[in-house]
Amino acid sequence: MSKGKTTALFVLLFLGDIAVLFANLITGSADISVSDAVTAIFGEENAASDILWKIRIPRALAALLLGGALSLSGYLLQTFFHNPIAGPFVLGVSSGAKLIVAISMIFAAGIFGSLSSAFMIISAFVGSMLSLGFVLLVSRRVKQMSMLVVCGVMTGYICSAVTDFLVTFADDSDIVNLHDWSMGTFSGTSMDNVKVIFILVLMGVLGTILISKPIGAYMLGESYAQNMGVNIKLLRALLIILSGLLSASVTAFAGPVSFVGIAVVHIIRVLFKTSKPLVMIPACFLGGSIFCMLCDMIARTVFAPTELSISTVTAIFGAPVVIIIMLKHKLGEMNG
Amino acid sequence: MDKTLISADRLSVGYGKRVIVNGVEFEVKQGEILTLIGPNGAGKSTVLKTIAGYLKRLNGTVMIGDQDLLGFSEKEMAKKLSVVLTERIRPELMTCREVVETGRYPYTGSFGLLTQKDKEIVNTAMEAVSMQDFAQADFNSVSDGQRQRVMLARAICQEPEILILDEPTSYLDIHHKIQFFEILQGLAKERQMAVILSMHELDFAEKISDHVLCIKEGKITLSGTPDIVFIPENIMGLYGIPEKYYRKYFG
Repeated sequence: MSKGKTTALFVLLFLGDIAVLFANLITGSADISVSDAVTAIFGEENAASDILWKIRIPRALAALLLGGALSLSGYLLQTFFHNPIAGPFVLGVSSGAKLIVAISMIFAAGIFGSLSSAFMIISAFVGSMLSLGFVLLVSRRVKQMSMLVVCGVMTGYICSAVTDFLVTFADDSDIVNLHDWSMGTFSGTSMDNVKVIFILVLMGVLGTILISKPIGAYMLGESYAQNMGVNIKLLRALLIILSGLLSASVTAFAGPVSFVGIAVVHIIRVLFKTSKPLVMIPACFLGGSIFCMLCDMIARTVFAPTELSISTVTAIFGAPVVIIIMLKHKLGEMNG
Repeated sequence: MDKTLISADRLSVGYGKRVIVNGVEFEVKQGEILTLIGPNGAGKSTVLKTIAGYLKRLNGTVMIGDQDLLGFSEKEMAKKLSVVLTERIRPELMTCREVVETGRYPYTGSFGLLTQKDKEIVNTAMEAVSMQDFAQADFNSVSDGQRQRVMLARAICQEPEILILDEPTSYLDIHHKIQFFEILQGLAKERQMAVILSMHELDFAEKISDHVLCIKEGKITLSGTPDIVFIPENIMGLYGIPEKYYRKYFG
C-alpha cells in the first residue's frame, strides 16, 4: 500500500473518530441541538451543559479511550500467540479480571466501604494476569491454535459462572453497581474516571509504540527474531503485561466488552493491507474507539429508555467477523 | 593470514540433558565454506542451532573470533551472525521486501525506520538473489524456492561475518540451486564471510565446500576436505547405502 493511501486512511479514521464522538454527544433521551452542544463545549454554560459535561462527554470519552485500548490489547495478544483470533475476551482474560474485581467488590467493600478506582484497576490487572497465566500454561501443552482458543473460552465461562454465583448470593448493598457492570457498560463514567483512564491508556499505548520494532521482528517467528537481536523473553513479558494493562483498564471501568480486540484488528488489517506495527498500532486504536463509540451509541439509543449492555452490541457486530476470519484461514491452517 | 571467524571445540549439543551429537570440532576462516552432511535425524540442525546461539550447549566451547559465544549480547551477535532456517514462516500481510528489510533490524534506531543507506543495502540484497521483481509481492504468495531466496536476502542484509544455513536449497530447482550456491560462494570469497550449512546435495557439497563434517549416530564420523570425504566407501558408510545401489545410482 502506498504512503498516500495509508495517510488518507488515517485521515479518514481520525475524522470518523471525531464525527462519531460528536454524534454521541447530541444523541440521547434529552434533545440537544448541534448548536447547543457546540456552545456548551466551547462557550458559556447553557441548558445542555450539565448533561453534556456530567454524562455524555465522560461516557463518550470512556468509550473512545477504552475501545482503542481493547483493540490494541487484542493486537498484542494476536502478536504474542501468532493467532488472528486471540483477544482478551476469547482467551478468558476479561472474565478473569471480572471475577477478581467482583470478589474484591464483595469482600473488600464490606471492610473498606466503597472501592477506589485504583483498587478496581489493580484487581482487574491481577485477574487478567491470573487468567492469562492459566492460558499460557495450557498453551505449552496444546500446540494447536484453535485448541488454545477453546481453552480460553472455557476459562472465561468458568470465571463468569463463579462471578454469577457470587453476585447472586452477595448482599445487595455490596453490589449496587455490580450487576450492570458485570454485563459491561460505559454508563456512570465520571470525568474523574476519564482522567484515570486517560493516564492508564496513554501508558499502554506509549509502551506499545516503544516495542513496535521488536514486534515487527517477532512476526517472523521467534528464531529469526532472536537472530535479529531481540530479547525474546523480555518481549514476550512486555506483550503480556501491556495487553493485560490495557484490557484491565477496560474491565475495571466498563466490565467485560466482547470481540472488539479481534474484529477491529482484522478490519484494520484488511483496510490497510499491512502488518507493519507502526501503522497497525495507531490504526487499531482509532478503529477500536470508533467501533466502541458506535456500539455504545446503539446500546443506549435503539431501545431507549432501556439500555443494552455494550457486549450485546459488540458481539452482534464482532462475532461474525471472527467467523469470517476462521473461514478465511480454514481450520486446517490454524492448527499449524 | 586469514582470520578464524568461528570455531568449536569438544562441543556437545542436545536438548535438556539428552545429548544428540558429541565431540563437534571445526574451525572456519573468513572466506571458507563448511558443510555438514549426514542422514536425516543425525543432528545437523541441532549443531547449527547451537552454534548460532539458539540452543544451550551441553559441553565444550563455541568461539566467535577469539571470544566465547556466550560473551556477546544479543545485539552484538545479530551483527556477527545471520541464519536461514528450515522452519517455514507465514507472516501475515508482509511483502517480500518487508521480510528482507527485517534483516536491517540490528542497525536501525528505536522505531526501526530505514535510512537511505539501509534501503540501498536491501535493494542490493534483493538483486543478489534475483528477487527484485517480487519486492512488492506478498511473501505467502510466492513459491517455496522464492521464499528461500528472500530469506537468504534477509540474512545478507544483516551484513554478518558468519552465515549459517540449514538445508537452504531443499526446495529449489536445479537452476536455482546453482544460483543459490553461486551466491554463497560469492559471499564467502568477496565479502569474506564464513559460511556453515547443512545439505543433502552431495554433488554440490563436493564442489563448493572447503571443509566437510560427516555426522552420524551422535558423532562426527569424518572431517576433512572434500577430496578426503567424498570417496564411495565413506558415503556408503555414512548413509548406510549398500554397494550395489551406490553403483546403480552414483556409479
